[in-house]
Amino acid sequence: MSKIVPIKVQKAEAEKLAAAVSQMAGVEAEVVERVNGTHPRPVVVGNSSPESWRALAEMLHSEHGVDHCSMVTGIHWPEGDADKKWEVIYHLMRIAVRDPPIEDGLVRPIIVDPSKVKGASTPLELEFHVHLPDTRTPSVDSVQDIWVGADWNEKETWDLVGIDFDGHQGMRRVLLPHETPKGYHPLQKQHHLRYHGFEEMYDDSQGFMRKPADADRIK
Amino acid sequence: MAEMWISMGPQHPMTHGLWTLKVKVDGETVVDTEPDLGFIHRGVEKICEARDFTQITTYCDRLCYASANTWSHSYIYATEDLLEVEVPERAEYIRLVAIELQRIASHLMWLGAYGPDTGNLSIMVWCLREREMMMDLLQELGGSRLHYNFPRVGGVKRDLPHGFPQRARAKVNLFLNRIQEYEALFDESTVFLVRTQGVGYAKPEEMVNHGVTGPNLRAGGVNYDVRWAHPYGVYSELDWEPPVERSSIKGADCYDRYRVRVEEMRQSANMVLQALDKMPGGADTYHEPGDPMILAKAPSRAPEGTSGAHHFEDSRGESMFYIVGGGESRGKHPYRVSIRSPMFITIPYAAKCMIGYKVADIPAIMGSFDPCIGETDR
Repeated sequence: MSKIVPIKVQKAEAEKLAAAVSQMAGVEAEVVERVNGTHPRPVVVGNSSPESWRALAEMLHSEHGVDHCSMVTGIHWPEGDADKKWEVIYHLMRIAVRDPPIEDGLVRPIIVDPSKVKGASTPLELEFHVHLPDTRTPSVDSVQDIWVGADWNEKETWDLVGIDFDGHQGMRRVLLPHETPKGYHPLQKQHHLRYHGFEEMYDDSQGFMRKPADADRIK
Repeated sequence: MAEMWISMGPQHPMTHGLWTLKVKVDGETVVDTEPDLGFIHRGVEKICEARDFTQITTYCDRLCYASANTWSHSYIYATEDLLEVEVPERAEYIRLVAIELQRIASHLMWLGAYGPDTGNLSIMVWCLREREMMMDLLQELGGSRLHYNFPRVGGVKRDLPHGFPQRARAKVNLFLNRIQEYEALFDESTVFLVRTQGVGYAKPEEMVNHGVTGPNLRAGGVNYDVRWAHPYGVYSELDWEPPVERSSIKGADCYDRYRVRVEEMRQSANMVLQALDKMPGGADTYHEPGDPMILAKAPSRAPEGTSGAHHFEDSRGESMFYIVGGGESRGKHPYRVSIRSPMFITIPYAAKCMIGYKVADIPAIMGSFDPCIGETDR
């Protein structure tokens, strides 16, 4: 059988982290179990207020060894509740790498046998949601200096969704052209796909009825 | 000498795709770099918001032209998490065969392209010869050569065709023998060693902080693989170990990154052989498409406020999908699909690795990270 992380150890670690994090004001977290294939995966899922997000990120990195920022997702909810018009989701991981030991000038592999990991060297999966109220200039504190991996993720989130990150150094367009007009962020929901809400596969498979989105406007 | 900025790309043999690397040079030495991406941004995330869950698979195939199968599976696992589908075990084994064959094909494409990067032109054709065998096998499964559209929400499109296990075993065994030829070609080539050893050092802890994952990270002595850390599919049922390099005190160089990929191909080949042996119901039986042994029933709509996420070990690192369900108002479409591309995060770090080396080292360093621009720009 293959060497994989024991599920019990991982779950216990996840619950410990969720309990510790929930002590903070404005933060609540719990352990959710996801199943893909034969193996259940415990995931720490939490909510954080925008004010406490920065402090939470610092604590996760320094005290709980969360060393890898996997993905930052921005979502625009124009029809959501008043305090949830924008949402930023952070997917973090604990890879558990601290000062790789060195023997005879060679780096010793950090984890030799995954089935024997325990305590702070157990890999963990985390997901934190930050809700932002109704505003035309949504922004949340940047974590670029904590996890450099968040750098380009944050650039992309601003570029495509329009959520700004306070304290982010060198914000610029990464996927859209550099000369894209200011304030244009295509993943905001007021921008519709040209044939959105239209079953093009069935109603108009040849595309004869297609019209540009601005067809009814005077040019 | 005065420093100056030069642009490598968007049309440059080093780039392996369409992007620009701006390099600040002082004579022959690289002083600063700045990658510029987005030349083939297609807006896949936005397009997915107007497609149903089955249609999106096709778009995810086209994220990466060298590793289509891993990307569509990455998406399917996240969707199954969203829709809470339980997949039959036989389908999981078939998926594992498809994913690992694709990983071998992808690494062979990389190895083939890395030869010319470092001045060994003949290696390209050798690697493509074996890649052709893997492509033939994948074609039997998916029906087309490059973009297979193989997985379905709840299972796979088709069962293994008649005679596939025998052909797969023969080809994978042949491939395992031929890996030795590549090792001879590379490891005994002075040109290759001079160009890769001691070039492009990447420190393990720095790589984790910068979000570098996959073979690039394991080359630095970090034994981290999503397949054992957060197991999905049936990886926990097979006997395998992720390959990890013992890099030098300065970190992983280009040679380590080459070694770890060759070892990974071996592991993947062994996994394919094991999966064919262990397949529930036997690898030789055939089920019609849609049979409950290979395809579970899945809902086509996701309720309001649900989300699905899945970390996946792609050929180039950790890929990830985060999908938010749309509810009744949006019909069968998801509300938001977010994609983590491993190379999007790795390219800025790879560009930093070049600082301090010569201009001639840039192709060797960039190539060793295995960039793929299709997934980077999305």
